[in-house]
Amino acid sequence: MELPDPDTVPRREYLRGLVAVGGAAALAACLDSVDEGGVPTGDPDERPPSQHAWNDVLDTDEYGNIRSPEHRVLLALDLEGEPDQSDREQVEAAFRSLERAYAHDPEGLLFNVGYAPSYFETVGVEPPIPHPKPITNSENPALDGFDTLVHLASDNPEVVLEAEEALLGEVSEPNGVEMSATLAGVFERGQPRRTGFVGAGLPAQHTEMDAVPESIPEAAPFFMGFKSGFANSQAPERRVTIQDGPYAGGTTTQIESLDLQLRSWFEQDDHFLRVAQLFSPAHAERGMVPGVGDELGNSTDIEQFVDRTAADASEGVVGHAQKAARARDEDGTPPLLRRDFNTVDGDFPGIHFLSHQRTIEDFVRVREAMAGEDLDSGVGQSHNNGILQYIFTNRRGNFLVPPRTKRSLPGL
Amino acid sequence: MQHGTDDTAANRLSRRAFLAAGTAATAGLAGCFGDDGESTPEVISENDVPGSGAPEVENPPDAVYLPTHEAPVRMLETVRAGEYVLLPHFTTQHQFWLMRGNDDQPVLNEPDSPGLHFMFAVWDGETGAMIPVDLGLGMTVRRDGQRVDRRRPWPMISQRMGFHFGDNVPFVESGTYTVEVSVAPIGARKTGGFSGRFEESATTTFTFEFDREIEAQLVGEIEYLDEERWGEPGALEPMGHGGGMDEMDGGMGPGIGLPAPDSYPGTSLGVHTSDGAEFVVRSLSGSRLAGDGDYLFVSPRTPYNRVPLPDMSLSVEGDIGGKLTQTIDSELGHHYGLTADLAAGDTFDIVVESPPQVARHRGYETAFLDMPPVTVEVD
Repeated sequence: MELPDPDTVPRREYLRGLVAVGGAAALAACLDSVDEGGVPTGDPDERPPSQHAWNDVLDTDEYGNIRSPEHRVLLALDLEGEPDQSDREQVEAAFRSLERAYAHDPEGLLFNVGYAPSYFETVGVEPPIPHPKPITNSENPALDGFDTLVHLASDNPEVVLEAEEALLGEVSEPNGVEMSATLAGVFERGQPRRTGFVGAGLPAQHTEMDAVPESIPEAAPFFMGFKSGFANSQAPERRVTIQDGPYAGGTTTQIESLDLQLRSWFEQDDHFLRVAQLFSPAHAERGMVPGVGDELGNSTDIEQFVDRTAADASEGVVGHAQKAARARDEDGTPPLLRRDFNTVDGDFPGIHFLSHQRTIEDFVRVREAMAGEDLDSGVGQSHNNGILQYIFTNRRGNFLVPPRTKRSLPGL
Repeated sequence: MQHGTDDTAANRLSRRAFLAAGTAATAGLAGCFGDDGESTPEVISENDVPGSGAPEVENPPDAVYLPTHEAPVRMLETVRAGEYVLLPHFTTQHQFWLMRGNDDQPVLNEPDSPGLHFMFAVWDGETGAMIPVDLGLGMTVRRDGQRVDRRRPWPMISQRMGFHFGDNVPFVESGTYTVEVSVAPIGARKTGGFSGRFEESATTTFTFEFDREIEAQLVGEIEYLDEERWGEPGALEPMGHGGGMDEMDGGMGPGIGLPAPDSYPGTSLGVHTSDGAEFVVRSLSGSRLAGDGDYLFVSPRTPYNRVPLPDMSLSVEGDIGGKLTQTIDSELGHHYGLTADLAAGDTFDIVVESPPQVARHRGYETAFLDMPPVTVEVD
């Protein structure tokens, strides 16, 4: 991929474009564009025991919603051979080096390491999570086949690029701190490389793409034009943390990579239908979401409308959030912690829907509720059925994220 | 992999469609476009979107009505996707209306960029039966390996094409396009020979030669109805999917219309009307659809062309009660049904909880919206 041109795109979009391209040249261009010395270094001993425990260091907005790190890279890794104990020490040294190079906060680097079923099979251990498979009857996704996933997140674009290069041995002193080891020799880069971004205004910077209409709201943090990740729609970290067994303190990651049809969404539907389909028909009828969702504060109040799901479907439109909320715990706690983000990988707008949950079955239950195949009247398979008319599932992947003490080649 | 436009078939079909449409008088347009004798209306609009500037009926009636014109349709070759057969076809870009549940104000969609109204008809590859329900169609368009568009064509109804999946799809540059189409399993209840079938999603790919001149050609072939007839109650003659209403005339697909009311088995409980839709209601005793008990059969369709009205939510209230289940049966076709003991003297209402959630082409956008219950009495 070609590097973006700093003279023709806005600075924020230029930096995001560099993250999408990746590699040494993009990193060099990115470092040229940012202030030196702006990124804090860190101390590995200050990292929490759960790799997914990010919330304590993330900012919140004025309503108490947690703000996602702006830049992301999903680095796919394949084992080069059958690993041994010395490989494990090397891998752990590489991760600890990153933790010295960057502080545990969104200015520095937040990351976690997950392992696919194929990894566990290679090291001769029964996989603690299922292989990914199609979940709904209308999809035919590619399935992630690589061994290990590193999710890199930072508000600073050069950090995710540099951390990626440092792990692969292409950069020796990220943020001025020497890597005492790298993953090279144990892991090689796998496919696909995925990137993305979250943030108010970022989606609207992509209107040069044919598939991103001018009508996308300027303030929208996500491509669908609304906020998401409202505090009361997110699982607390403890809800997604594994409680027992060898991976207690860990979690699971699933990634569903989706294409979005935004022209239909913004230019064929109207605001009423968008709100009805994304939240619930009552949200539209009552005018609860006149803008991008700031009006909702920290809660979509979706729990009030869950019981109406089947009735709403019978009346011809059912909401995405409403359907999915049927899979909440009895006490109303959502089972998924969303860390999803926008993407233009493949030059098409989409979402890498990354979530943590205690078990992959939790995700499957929510995804089935969202598909709403049980809602057999009034709405079509896709039409007026949440956001199914506008999404295309391309890929799925499942990963176990061990607690930090076991993050390096677990099960050996 | 299928290839390209069948020019011969397209010409034959479009000619026949024009004949079927009856006299397309242009004289009546004079009043509309001035007295300078110009017989061809200007239909290229200012925003260079062919087709979008055609004159339309002002203040259309709250009923199925005749539009001002009919556009030519080009058929591509049929493609097979699993158990389904798909017929890709296209015409000029169209206005259409999207439904918003049981709200009676559908959302108007205007074409906003150059391209075509691209459509798919879907039928059973084994029996040729039409499958008029949302199948979650997905369509990915590529050119030179680059993805240029991806969407789910809307389930929609039009007077000439009946139930189909369609959308205004941007085609900007001339060239060879590859179109991948995916079809989901049937979500509605399947009975008879359809039981256990259509359980898998399926995907197929075909290529399509797009020439930018086709847009102007299609616009040039638009046929206008006599202006006096614009907005009259009625419907354009169905074109079907190459077969017209009559499957015996050598067409390749099923017709677009459902059977006439008296061609169904069982006892008639009348043909009832609600906001323009005709409800064929019948009682079937000893029906396999009701475990050999009594079965209430309800088939809502458009007037004139008998186009099925799928994805409604219907229930029954009165001496019998319950939800009518949308069903595709290998013999009875698309309908809504309920197992119910029916006795002479019973009275019940068929209540429309939501009207057909299918997008509407011109002439159908003002009907089947605000649908009062129909009352049925058993003799």
